[in-house]
Amino acid sequence: MSAAFADTVRSEWTKFRTIPANVPTLLSAVVLMVGAGALTANGAAENYRAGRALFDATYISMYGGFLFAQITVGALGVLVVTHEYATGLIRTSTTVVPRRGRLLAAKVATYGLIALAMGLVSSFGAYTLGQTVIAAGGAPAASLSQPGVLRAVTGMGLIWALVGLVGVALGILLRATMAATTVLVAVNFIIPVIGPRLLPDAVGDWVTTYWPISAGLQITTTVQNPERVAPWTGLGVMAGFTLVLLAAAFAVFRSRDT
Amino acid sequence: MIEIIGLTKRYGTRTAVDDLTFTVRPGQVTGFLGPNGAGKSTTMRAILGLDRPDAGGVTVNGRGYAGLSRPMREVGALLDARAVHPRRTARNHLLCLAQTNGISAARVDEVLALVGLESVARNRAGGFSLGMGQRLGIAVALLGDPKVLLFDEPVNGLDPEGIKWIRELMRGLAAEGRTVLVSSHLMSEMAQTADHLIVIGRGRLIADIGVTEFVRQGQNVLVRAEGQESLIHRLAEAGATVTPGADGALIVTGLEAREIGRCALDAGVVLTELTPQRSLEQAYMDLTRDSVEFQTSAA
Repeated sequence: MSAAFADTVRSEWTKFRTIPANVPTLLSAVVLMVGAGALTANGAAENYRAGRALFDATYISMYGGFLFAQITVGALGVLVVTHEYATGLIRTSTTVVPRRGRLLAAKVATYGLIALAMGLVSSFGAYTLGQTVIAAGGAPAASLSQPGVLRAVTGMGLIWALVGLVGVALGILLRATMAATTVLVAVNFIIPVIGPRLLPDAVGDWVTTYWPISAGLQITTTVQNPERVAPWTGLGVMAGFTLVLLAAAFAVFRSRDT
Repeated sequence: MIEIIGLTKRYGTRTAVDDLTFTVRPGQVTGFLGPNGAGKSTTMRAILGLDRPDAGGVTVNGRGYAGLSRPMREVGALLDARAVHPRRTARNHLLCLAQTNGISAARVDEVLALVGLESVARNRAGGFSLGMGQRLGIAVALLGDPKVLLFDEPVNGLDPEGIKWIRELMRGLAAEGRTVLVSSHLMSEMAQTADHLIVIGRGRLIADIGVTEFVRQGQNVLVRAEGQESLIHRLAEAGATVTPGADGALIVTGLEAREIGRCALDAGVVLTELTPQRSLEQAYMDLTRDSVEFQTSAA
């Protein structure tokens, strides 16, 4: 990492932490993830006792909370970019760092690492509390020594980072907070969660299997559903989608007047 | 030193800057004048690499801005003082920007003192008055102690004390041998601050002239006389330019009132009015009249 790039990353970190709402918002996402995860884990334990459903104690302790938290993580990624457009600060930022690739790379690195770190805190927190809840509910809890569990919990941290970066890319591409957040919610929530119920079966099945976030979340499972893609393949799909968005964002950001 | 050569910038079908060429030299304050929409901000954005020219180019100290790795140490700019996150403190705002160029936190505090914002350094910038915001914007420009400074409309909306402060600051920076380019749409302000003027209108260069010379050319006298023909003849001989004014008056440029009086005596003509009338502001408006974007018609 060159000194100039390190300086730009340091600046981006200062930018992030000196907006008073950012850190509390991020912590609220952690609390949401752990809290809502515990609730869904409790529900899952009840279902298990009733003899229903494929039971994946690791996945179920994280998924419910993630549905809420991902909106915050993605929206904060959007804001990291769009608040600069909204205030006009982007013009000062590109003046002091005229190499735009460097500026955007620093934003990506900084927010990617922030989201990854908070994602790991959340996923391990949700997993740990969730297993306690599941065991208390009379269902078999997972342990980190079981196959795939550590991969699933760590993978959830990676998903957080990718969701955050999708937000950053959308922020660059659309520049306006409302527009970028709306697209973000559609892409990561409405289409994958609600879409399959509304779309024709064939399309719905495709979305359930291959839509970036749906495929990506396979990394957080420990019981392979034969109709879904394999964990690392799924993460690859989501990472590829994120890279394509970021590449588009870089191309647009470098050629556009500010 | 800033060199602008053949700069052209179009937004859609509108040409904001049209084949503009001029040089901004060190050691003096260069006023960059033009009516609203003349292309001043576009030119400044092009200098800073924010807008890509359609033709021509800009170099700062002989190099393209976009290639500078630590530009704050070479060029400081105040473009839009309102471009601050309202909930970030003044000091943190400066710190974010300083860090990109490896500038220390100690320099941030130094600059805060320089612009007189120490006491509010830890207040949120959103609560700043226009004048405090402008000082913060100037602090950003000064962070890297650059040799070249650009100020876009720095006195807009300031109170007289703030205007005086900025004027003295700019003169001081130029006296230290720095290159100072300051844009304005107010001639009167520039007459008091600048040593040299670049005047543009509709994106084209109208004048590249020293302030003293501009002021001299700006002299203009309204004359009424009995027997104008011989006076006009005599004035032309003396090197004046005479154009017809309203109600049979004559507008004379190139001679002072005293000299015109002498011409009238020579020509044996009775003067009924002799009024030095054209202010610097008027001279500037005459110069840019054809290039004002939204003109009001005379009633």
